[in-house]
Amino acid sequence: MKFTIYQESRLGKRKNNEDRLAHCYSRDALLLVIADGMGGHYYGEIAAQIAVQCITESFQREANSKISDPLSFINRTMINAHRAIFDFASAHKLSDSPRTTCVACVIQDNIAYWAHVGDSRLYIIRGGKVLARTRDHSRVQLMIDHGMITPAQALSHPDRNKIYSCLGGLQDPKIELSRKTPLEVGDVMALCTDGLWGLFPDEMLAAALVRDNLMKAVPDLMEKAEASGGQNADNFSVIAVRWEDNYIEPESHGLSTIHTHTMPLGAFTTRLDQFGSNPKYKTELTDEEIERAIEEIRSAIQKYSK
Amino acid sequence: MAGVLIIAFILMAQQANHALPPGFRLDEYRIERQLSLGGFSIVYLATDRSGQPVAIKEYLPNSLALRAEGEIKPSIAKEHMPAFRYGMKCFFEEGRALARLSHPNVIRVLNFFRANDTVYMVMEYEHGLTLQEVIKKNHPAITENFMRNVFTKLLNGLREVHSRKLLHLDLKPSNIYMRNEYTPVLIDFGAARQTLTSDSPILKPMYTPGFASPEHYHQRELLGPWSDIYSVGASMYACLAGTGPQAADSRQENDRLVPAMVRWERQYSDQLLETIDWCLCLNYLYRPQSAFALQKVLTEPVDRLKAETVEADTARKSWLGRVLGKLKGKVEPK
Repeated sequence: MKFTIYQESRLGKRKNNEDRLAHCYSRDALLLVIADGMGGHYYGEIAAQIAVQCITESFQREANSKISDPLSFINRTMINAHRAIFDFASAHKLSDSPRTTCVACVIQDNIAYWAHVGDSRLYIIRGGKVLARTRDHSRVQLMIDHGMITPAQALSHPDRNKIYSCLGGLQDPKIELSRKTPLEVGDVMALCTDGLWGLFPDEMLAAALVRDNLMKAVPDLMEKAEASGGQNADNFSVIAVRWEDNYIEPESHGLSTIHTHTMPLGAFTTRLDQFGSNPKYKTELTDEEIERAIEEIRSAIQKYSK
Repeated sequence: MAGVLIIAFILMAQQANHALPPGFRLDEYRIERQLSLGGFSIVYLATDRSGQPVAIKEYLPNSLALRAEGEIKPSIAKEHMPAFRYGMKCFFEEGRALARLSHPNVIRVLNFFRANDTVYMVMEYEHGLTLQEVIKKNHPAITENFMRNVFTKLLNGLREVHSRKLLHLDLKPSNIYMRNEYTPVLIDFGAARQTLTSDSPILKPMYTPGFASPEHYHQRELLGPWSDIYSVGASMYACLAGTGPQAADSRQENDRLVPAMVRWERQYSDQLLETIDWCLCLNYLYRPQSAFALQKVLTEPVDRLKAETVEADTARKSWLGRVLGKLKGKVEPK
């Protein structure tokens, strides 16, 4: 396999990042997974972390360099993640179970397989156009399907955050499986949370991600999202993969392309941030900020003590 | 498995922190002894350069930072650093809020500094007892005058706090210091503007059962001045009862709280007892909505004689009438 991959999550204007994402690859299979913990529920970020960790660990156990049946693998691990979240809720006697959206994708033999619950999305972009996209399990998507509202209206609809399928919670998730989708050189797969796709129409996302150098295109897109997110911007996250089998452009992105054929069988490379360890997930104080805060308090004491 | 790992992280054992030893030189101060030990901080009695006593509060959340016996610097696991720093932010909020407040009924901050990998807030040291201790000492001989006097002054301080868009959120007799027996001083703003709840599962919100309003438990988005008012009402109730009232969350399930109006009938004026019950309404909308509104009622001239000699039946009737009136949204003027 040859591909370029870029993964990033940002806080937006929220206090906490409830998005979790991971990618993991063996010599012959690549896993991508993203989850967005639901804010209205307790411990949304824990649900997201459990989901991502559960699926990644199953991949590491089962990818004997390849996964034997990718679609059933994704389906099964999502159900396991759902149960793990539910167990967490009952072990802690939470009055309500935490919930999360989830999209997971496995690519092997140049074929992509994916499944999703909720409104985090997967896009496949070919030639600057959206070739495939997951359909959100959301109330507004149903309303669009029934012709009650337009996609543009959905972006500002009061119910835009209501989803009818998720991991965690009392109801079993409705996991929607994809077809087998063969990939071509230059195809871009992007998994993202609603904090990102909510800001850009599909065509704009496709145009932004089709640029040659993915390692530059995605950070640019994130910057743009940061700028246009507004006062109350949600967390936004993306994992983007440019599929480049048999194709390398040495100048533009040769260095960051990952070649897995040199990997030993049975080896894995994973990027999954540990819980709470990514400084972007918390608004953390730097030493400088501490000094500044103390200085500010001291001068207030001076001023008000007369 | 994944789930197990995370659970272990959150249920980290709570260990007790060791205080700095007496005689320890901390910045320009000398530690005399430990005054209190809480989940978030340790408070010391110390002396400054001129030998004046001060209280020093050390930020040291025991779920995140641990100081072993004989150690000076706490050890903070690397994975707890973000949460530790985040909690520090809230400690700064307390410092910032108090630094801007200069009021005889609110504790004054004198200094703020960084040492031993954590931060310290130096406050005036108040000689005297907490209201809690005063209640213990004098119960059941707390007079109506004492009640009106102390709580009216306390509400002066609380008004100042609220006017800074700050809520105390942990008002209770043990957080009220009595300077010279009659002047209450609000201390411990550690729970003030409690932003920790939603953000960090390991830093739990602080409240004291009995004194915390129903909003403290389940509907933190509804917290407001009326939540501190509930705590003032509970503190007044505690002055008369000797202990705090039934906890609000258990009242919501099965309200066994005997109204002040019933419990101390004819021992205090109806007006005072009604006011206590009014503050202790479970529905926040039925309580006095501001410290000022409550203060106004407490300072209203009351015909004590009439209040005391009135027949029990009429008293109950008029109390019922007022509660009904309140429910309908009309409060009859007395």
